[in-house]
Amino acid sequence: MAEDALMMAGSWTAAMLRSSTPLMMVTLGETLTQRVGIVNLGIEGQMLSGACVGFAAAAQTGSPVIGLAVGAMAGLLLSLVHVALCLGCSANQIGSGIAVWTLGLGLTSYFGRAAVGGKVSGLAPLANSTSANVPFLGPILTQLTPVVPFALVIVLFSGFWLYRTRTGLNWRVVGESFEASRALGIRPVLVQAQGILVGGLFSGFAGAILSVDYTQTWANEMTKGRGFVAVGLVIVARWNPLLVLPVVLLFGLSEAATLRLQAFGLTLSPYLIACLPYLVCLACVVIVSLRERVLGGMPAELATVFGRRR
Amino acid sequence: MSSTGRIRFLAVCGAGAAFLVAALVFLVAIDRPPFATLAQMVLYAFGDSYSLSESLVKATPILLCALAVILPARLGLITVGGEGQLYFGALTGTAVVVAFPDGPAILLLPAMLVAGAAGGAIWSGAAGLLRTRFNVNETISTLLTNYVAILLVNYVVYGPWKDPASLGWPASITFPPGATVPSLFGSRVHIGLIAGVIAALVLHVAVERTRWGIVLSVLSENRKVGAVVGFSFVRQTLLVMTIGGALAGFAGICETSAIQGRLQSGLSVGYGLTGFLVAWLSGQNFLRAIPIAILTGGLIAAGDALQLYSRIPSASATILQGLLFVAALGASGLATRWKAANG
Repeated sequence: MAEDALMMAGSWTAAMLRSSTPLMMVTLGETLTQRVGIVNLGIEGQMLSGACVGFAAAAQTGSPVIGLAVGAMAGLLLSLVHVALCLGCSANQIGSGIAVWTLGLGLTSYFGRAAVGGKVSGLAPLANSTSANVPFLGPILTQLTPVVPFALVIVLFSGFWLYRTRTGLNWRVVGESFEASRALGIRPVLVQAQGILVGGLFSGFAGAILSVDYTQTWANEMTKGRGFVAVGLVIVARWNPLLVLPVVLLFGLSEAATLRLQAFGLTLSPYLIACLPYLVCLACVVIVSLRERVLGGMPAELATVFGRRR
Repeated sequence: MSSTGRIRFLAVCGAGAAFLVAALVFLVAIDRPPFATLAQMVLYAFGDSYSLSESLVKATPILLCALAVILPARLGLITVGGEGQLYFGALTGTAVVVAFPDGPAILLLPAMLVAGAAGGAIWSGAAGLLRTRFNVNETISTLLTNYVAILLVNYVVYGPWKDPASLGWPASITFPPGATVPSLFGSRVHIGLIAGVIAALVLHVAVERTRWGIVLSVLSENRKVGAVVGFSFVRQTLLVMTIGGALAGFAGICETSAIQGRLQSGLSVGYGLTGFLVAWLSGQNFLRAIPIAILTGGLIAAGDALQLYSRIPSASATILQGLLFVAALGASGLATRWKAANG
């Protein structure tokens, strides 16, 4: 009996980790971008481009690793548009993000046609089926691919880097005060460009994880607003890369739990269930917004974008 | 011409030129004759009376959704919720038709349109409420709720409202003649277009020529000053969000009734997003939104025609919209910076 419970806990953990990994990466990317004082709503488009290009590359080469790498680069490339508009032309960040999203939407549905219905083989799991019966760890090791621990390491490393290194400090200074950072001899525009590009890289990687490793298919608009959910979760995680981990996992758990509820006789239309991530995300944002003053954590430069300074 | 006017003129020319170059590059990249294809698109958009009428059909929801962005923008709010408001308006409007399919047109039609507008107003007002009550950024809440509204429409057309007569196709019952929005000139253009133009004119006068416009601009500049002179940001936020949402919801039920003839998924091809683009291209100006909505309606209609006759997927229209948005944002951003640097 205890063994069964352990197995079930293991398979829940595995399912939760696996489905949360793309969201974890895109939320981390947006967190780092916003830490330098830039909001990028284009991550939805960047994630789509990563999913599309990554899938195509994996299908062409037969290598999921190449697919993941190329997908990350595609996200990075598209984020260059945001860099050019926001930093090169001083355009409005929200408008520019929507423009990047539109471009990503159009380009992927145009060039993604060839890949629709294709199939790729994802990465091999961490362990082969011989260890499937090990309590708790068995389901985790056989269901998870190396992408998941890799993503976890990236999140932890980003947190360490942001709070414990010199360059991380520079990024935080830029996000708190553009002018002060300039006075300190930091080149804030350069740092902001790096912040946007890192966000592009991670969101593209997130998209590629989704198409190459998780679903192993490509479909039009397959990210379904995960990028916007990520923008909400950044607020919930208080712009802290280390908090991204628990926030995204709890979010994934709430999703997994609703799916399990179905097994206990609660029958709901799949369309209503699909509403949940957006509503849960919104509810989380509402809850943290109520405690806004106590929690803090918002980089001060963002206030001009979110219009809360007035 | 004043210096501000000259800069704006240069910005528009620059944006147009940049867009044209980007569009040509895109057409070369997809291996199409660039100039011939562009000329073809202009013909498909406005070449004859049929093309023009199709462009106006597309322009109708775009214009209404653009107004739904511009009005909140006058208060400094950025909403991207046109798509969700349009879908939810279509849903609530259809509810009336599903409940009383045999009602007399004189009651059914207005009730349907009012329900549609009310649905959009509720959907958008909820985002306004979240903003005023919980300080939740309206851009994020509208982006998230777009997906929810689309899924709700999917739920009813695949579930409770699915018409058995539609042979498995997920759609509501076909709207009876009593619930069909009247069309104009024997084409598919319907009264939604006239409503959109009137709404733009009324909003223009209300915001540019009355005290209300001053309230909005004071509050968008500085909320504290506004509060000192007795203007309520909360009330104005709820007001502009519900009016905007009502317009987008109205667009949704008109599109459902006049164009689709029944509620089905895929009701809008990104009209909300295109409306956002139009609002920004117009510089958040109600009157300028009218011609720009017709032009972008033409772009989408031309995209459809290209798909039909030249086998270029209609996603090309989305790419061109993205390029247009990038060009416009870049040019206006540079113009603002130049103005700041040179007084």
